[in-house]
Amino acid sequence: MSEVIIKGLKKVYEGGVTAVHDVNLDIADKEFIVLVGPSGCGKSTTLRMVAGLEDITDGELYIDGKLCNNVEPKDRDIAMVFQSYALYPHMTVYDNMAFALKLKKVPKPEIDKKVREVAEILDITQYLDRKPKALSGGQRQRVAIGRAMVRDPKVFLMDEPLSNLDAKLRNQMRAEIIKLRSRINTTFMYVTHDQTEAMTLGDRIVIMKDGFVNQIGTPGEVFDKPVNLFVAGFIGMPVMNFFDNCKLILDDGVYYAQIRGARFKLDEFQQKALKQNGQQSCDIVAGIRPQHISVGQGDLEAKIVVNEMMGSEVHLHADSNGDEVVMVIPTVDLKTDVSMGATVKFSTQPKLIQLFDKASGNNLIWYDKASADACAPVCKNYIF
Amino acid sequence: MSGSGQSHALKRRETVTAYLFMLPALCFFAAFVVLPMIMGIVTSLFNYTMKNPVSKETFIGLQNYVDLFHDATFKRSMLNTLILVVVTVPSVTMFSLWVSSVIYKMRPGWCSFFRCVFYLPVVTGTVAVVVVWRWMFDGYSGILNYLLKAVGIIDKNIRFLGDTRFAIWCIITIMFTTYVGQPIVLYVAALGNVDQSLVEAAQVDGANKMQVFWRIKWPQIMPTTLYIVVITTINTFQCFSLIQLLTSGGPSGSTNTVMYYLYQNAFSLYKYGYANSMGVILAIVIAVLSAIQFKVMSKDVSY
Repeated sequence: MSEVIIKGLKKVYEGGVTAVHDVNLDIADKEFIVLVGPSGCGKSTTLRMVAGLEDITDGELYIDGKLCNNVEPKDRDIAMVFQSYALYPHMTVYDNMAFALKLKKVPKPEIDKKVREVAEILDITQYLDRKPKALSGGQRQRVAIGRAMVRDPKVFLMDEPLSNLDAKLRNQMRAEIIKLRSRINTTFMYVTHDQTEAMTLGDRIVIMKDGFVNQIGTPGEVFDKPVNLFVAGFIGMPVMNFFDNCKLILDDGVYYAQIRGARFKLDEFQQKALKQNGQQSCDIVAGIRPQHISVGQGDLEAKIVVNEMMGSEVHLHADSNGDEVVMVIPTVDLKTDVSMGATVKFSTQPKLIQLFDKASGNNLIWYDKASADACAPVCKNYIF
Repeated sequence: MSGSGQSHALKRRETVTAYLFMLPALCFFAAFVVLPMIMGIVTSLFNYTMKNPVSKETFIGLQNYVDLFHDATFKRSMLNTLILVVVTVPSVTMFSLWVSSVIYKMRPGWCSFFRCVFYLPVVTGTVAVVVVWRWMFDGYSGILNYLLKAVGIIDKNIRFLGDTRFAIWCIITIMFTTYVGQPIVLYVAALGNVDQSLVEAAQVDGANKMQVFWRIKWPQIMPTTLYIVVITTINTFQCFSLIQLLTSGGPSGSTNTVMYYLYQNAFSLYKYGYANSMGVILAIVIAVLSAIQFKVMSKDVSY
């Protein structure tokens, strides 16, 4: 059992810069939680406070039920993988991995057994006698993970562990981390700025911006139910299309979304949710994911500017009366002419339209004030 | 083929240009370092004094070296030199490491202040430093005597510089104060350059402050330590002005060093050949010691 509970965590640096505002997070035992956000959003600082490498300005941190605010890093029983790997350059791979166990005064045969066992899992047995400088980036990465694994820590912290690798190796290591996770069976906190890593690795994702938590949810939740414009724009590739200056219209008890020349009658669940909130007609920003657009028919029109053929799908960059629209269209059964310069009609399903309040940037359907207040004050500035 | 031939010619031209640029420096190096070295070795094989210039008649082979090993004053000065090295090098290294490890984490202002304080004797002229220390060590009105009497450790004045028991320790004290400046500056820089993530990794791995220092930082600053040990050793061997100004080798040879004895032979007794043989021996001892230090310590040097 090693759950991590973070209550009102705050970090103010000398000089008054606040890096983290009031983070609240309950991480269950053996959960894989990913902190994601653009650089400077406070995700690494949060992780380092959990590790004990940064002092906690305010709030409480419980690891395994124990208040750890003033506990030294060495006594927290956590392991950490650093972005730079931080392998001890003067030690061999073996000694790097055995270091923590030696400090704990574990008997030598036991250390040897453990190190070799982990090396076997990570496929680095043949490098045990080498110094880190003789290893490639991917191998160093494995050693760094191995060094953390031999310890059987309560919590496994990873600070952008893949960002120094090239794209191919990164994909490979990401798959390995997913595999490893089932073997290690402990609580993970993983920091990244890469939304693909976040989506593929996390049980739950914590999306941060400017020191505030914007949303906490499963990958499916943050993708389908983004609480505000920032989350909607951050998660998903290519980025969600936003149509500014649209309207939510309440007409005779029925809600419509007016996007440029097209009027969409919203889906039943949207109707219900909006009604429940007592939502009136208002200015909105409408969001439609590129994958949710279909071409060939509809009331919206756009001129194709760039056509990127990806094989099974084609990415279209189009100009719809001044709005830049990105569409991802499967090439199977594609009958419409989507060559550069062509004009196409396009549409989407009303239930896939995300409705954001123009003033606050919050999602009219999914933004839940109660849970948002619980995790952090609303991030008012939604420009990204 | 023609391309490779062309690049070959280009390379040669570049090499020639490079040597041309180095030529002025190389000339000085040859004239004032290489040539004197060779001449030193050569003249050490002659009975070369002011009266007898180097000639066929004065060639005596290794006789100067044989004489050296029977010269009690030389042996005494070699012993004094070794005492200076054995005491000064470790104490300078350890003290500067200790001071640096305390000050390198301070606010930049305080760190600079302490570096300044310890570096001041390095930039102050040796003569000025020695004059001040002489006043302090003075047997009649020196502040050291005054303080020791005030505290009650001694009841009558000690002539520090005139007593065979104390003179060498006075030399060591002054050496110590003038030698720690540079290592402190170097160590502060080296400690500041240790990758902070290694320290953090060790902390997370369960290391306490001492373990972090000795098992992570110490190996990382090993190149600096090696440099400091070698440089301090060489400086101590070659120390001359301090002794000339403070004791002139006395009392009764108790502060005589190889370097000072060499100077006496060359420029007071004009026994150039004999002095040169001493220089050769000193050079060999320094080279051997430095080689040993490199061999032993570079095992732990990591890059």
